[in-house]
Amino acid sequence: MIQLIIKRLIIAIPTLIIIIAFVFGLMRVAPGGPFTNERALPPEIEQKINEAYDLDKPLIQQFGIYLSKIAKGDLGPSYKYKDFTVNELILSGFPISLTLGVSAIVISLFLGSLLGIIAAVKRNTIIDYAVMGISLIGVCIPSFVLAPLLSLFFGLYLGLFPISGWNGGNINNLILPIVSLSLPQIAIISRMMRSSTIETLNSNFIRTARAKGIPRRRIITRHAIRSSILPIIDYLAPATAGLMTGSIIIEQIFGLPGIGRYFVVGALQRDYTLVSGVMILYASLLMFLILLSDILRAVLDPRVKIK
Amino acid sequence: MNTKHYSKDDLDNILSVKGNSLYSDAFKRLLRNKASLISLIVLSLITLLSFFGPYLLQYDFYETDWNSIYLPPNIENGHYFGTDGNGRDLLVRILYGGRLSLSIGIIATLVSVSIGVTYGTIAGYIGGKVDTIMMRIVEILYAMPYLIFVIILMVVFGRNIYLLFIAIGAVEWLTMARIVRGQTISIKEKEFIEASKSLGQSSLLIIIKHIIPNLAGTIIVYITLMVPSVIILESFLSFLGLGVQEPLTSWGVLISEGAREMETAWWLLIFPGLFMVLTLASLNFIGDGLRDALDPKEY
Amino acid sequence: MNTILNVKNLSVNFNTTQGIIKAVDNISFSIKKGDCLGIAGESGSGKTQTFFSITGILSDNGSAKGIAEFDNVDLLKLNEKQLSKIRGKKIGFIFQDPMTSLTPHMNIENQLIEVSMTHDKNNKNDALMKSKEVLDIVKLPRIENLLKKYPHELSGGMRQRVMIGISLMCDPLFIIADEPTTALDVTTQKEILKIFNDLKKYKNITIALISHNIGVISEVADKILIMNKGKVIEKGNCQEVLISPKHEYTKHLLSCVPKWMK
Repeated sequence: MIQLIIKRLIIAIPTLIIIIAFVFGLMRVAPGGPFTNERALPPEIEQKINEAYDLDKPLIQQFGIYLSKIAKGDLGPSYKYKDFTVNELILSGFPISLTLGVSAIVISLFLGSLLGIIAAVKRNTIIDYAVMGISLIGVCIPSFVLAPLLSLFFGLYLGLFPISGWNGGNINNLILPIVSLSLPQIAIISRMMRSSTIETLNSNFIRTARAKGIPRRRIITRHAIRSSILPIIDYLAPATAGLMTGSIIIEQIFGLPGIGRYFVVGALQRDYTLVSGVMILYASLLMFLILLSDILRAVLDPRVKIK
Repeated sequence: MNTKHYSKDDLDNILSVKGNSLYSDAFKRLLRNKASLISLIVLSLITLLSFFGPYLLQYDFYETDWNSIYLPPNIENGHYFGTDGNGRDLLVRILYGGRLSLSIGIIATLVSVSIGVTYGTIAGYIGGKVDTIMMRIVEILYAMPYLIFVIILMVVFGRNIYLLFIAIGAVEWLTMARIVRGQTISIKEKEFIEASKSLGQSSLLIIIKHIIPNLAGTIIVYITLMVPSVIILESFLSFLGLGVQEPLTSWGVLISEGAREMETAWWLLIFPGLFMVLTLASLNFIGDGLRDALDPKEY
Repeated sequence: MNTILNVKNLSVNFNTTQGIIKAVDNISFSIKKGDCLGIAGESGSGKTQTFFSITGILSDNGSAKGIAEFDNVDLLKLNEKQLSKIRGKKIGFIFQDPMTSLTPHMNIENQLIEVSMTHDKNNKNDALMKSKEVLDIVKLPRIENLLKKYPHELSGGMRQRVMIGISLMCDPLFIIADEPTTALDVTTQKEILKIFNDLKKYKNITIALISHNIGVISEVADKILIMNKGKVIEKGNCQEVLISPKHEYTKHLLSCVPKWMK
């Protein structure tokens, strides 16, 4: 197990560095620097600013300085929000995005898997069609269509939920965003779970379990689920990536001041450090999730040799 | 025991016969699937309307009419779907938007498919360490939030429409690569490849002549499933203001405008949304139908 | 009653995308208590589906008609719940491929005691004791380590013995063995067949041995049933049928067996 973790870390760190380098390179290569949109400044002042932000040094050196700061946990100052560091900005948006994200992923995984199993067990019955119908909605109505629609219906017409604002994390403000965010993933996961469960239920060892006279419920919980859930474990990291993507849109639509908002603003304004900072955060989180899903897989499937 | 010795011509014959009967059989099955059939009709309708419809309508795409802003859907004055804040006819805009959304869908998908198929067949065919490394890269990329990458690309290189095609395609090839690699591996292990090799055909030839035609079915299925993703991705970007720019429009742009105005002008959201949902749903049904038709495991 | 299984006019159909397939076509046969009936025939002859259908483990698209009297009960009239009480308890199963037929994430011990605990409502200790008894019967060595292992850690022969062990946990009256030796090498095959003979002799268990390998059947079976395309071609005393077959098909089948095996 420890070997697995170490091996993953060995791959993860260079990967992160490559991603950082990629973003760094792109941002620097792009026409226009972080300060070109502002009023034209007298050359001496521009020079001073460039020095202060290390923009006059050779690229490699800039990169090196940046990396060393990151290693110490310092993501640098924001180029646009002049009084704030990137760390501060991210920390302010973090609780919001975290609440949104964790809720969405927990709901997606549990509800999605549950629906998938039910659909598989009650295959070709009304329940199956109903579950697949819901899943179809999640796949065909993208979150940026669904979110306004839900807002319109539940927010404006029925007046049940507020349609924007964070309001200190009030539950009412969270419901519409979380639903809009998780529905696409619930759709994908339930379909995946359904076909995985159907495949598992057709396998030989389930036939043996039936031949032993084991009751249906135990067959599913004790024999089938552990096998059928494996593809979902593999999907954990991409699912989170999907939620990160979706949260950008959702935060925009519902006016939630989370990290996604900062990212978009930073990208549009060429705030290099902010964009890199968010990117690093997301990438690290995903690397961690990949590691987590590998460990989970090894735990659930004794056939996986931990090399 | 009898051992049959196959000549090169025999092999080609066997493969081509197998190919024909599989596809015509599959096509018949597809047409029998009601959902797929309806979807094909709906999709064709939407496509035809998008490309040819505007010529049949009285209003122009650019036409602004300050006397007719925010009109709800109306049969008499010809604004069947209503107008937007600039007095522009919504129906025409939706159809023009359709041209763009659908074109991006297809072109970007083709880009993805090319990259994905090439990558996947190489990884699957060569196998071994090369395969492991290639697939690890895919795995890591797969877990990255693609929108973020695309946003960065769009911001850096400007909001060029052609770049949009490439950027989206460059992000979506991963799934295709995975599937293609898996299929390549299982095809590779079939006996006729061994036979080809022993007859001295070069690897490249084997890939082109034998492996790719057998992949065709899978590739087609995944194309129909990929186009919706691409359309959604483009719409995401346009929604954020990073995708299609004025004066062009796409469904994503229209929905974004509609979402902003939905309290006063619900039609601006509902109609573009409807077109998008119908298109995505049709593509999904067709894709499912194709998948069932080519691989009838379920009864 | 001396007959443990009496099958009359059994037909099994499958509903597929290519139409309805008749896997078993109106067959009748019976098995006497303590006998071993060998069912021989090529792949697709319906031999396996015959026994799967009467015990209710057909796939979803299959349906069976007819009568199958087992221990005074017509199995085909029972519902799933009732059948599951008989499967594992009165009827044991051994399947063809032990690697895929054992649950990959459960250790041997759990897979064995599960059967007792489902049917006999034993507590864990009693079940454990029974499992050790059963391992003795199938001659598995070094009991202590073995029980905690997973299926993929055992050899093919050992896995098949575990399967046999599982089928014996509740002292069944009847065991259905579907191609039990096909996935094994010849030496292991011999050992497994010896276990079957022991079961017959010492435990008086009735066995239905399905195999496309006539040699395997001849080592254990008293009676034989030859099937082809869902129909029974010939039946009777094993030795008699093999030495002087009456039907053309049987002769053809026998001609495929290498002479030294007979």
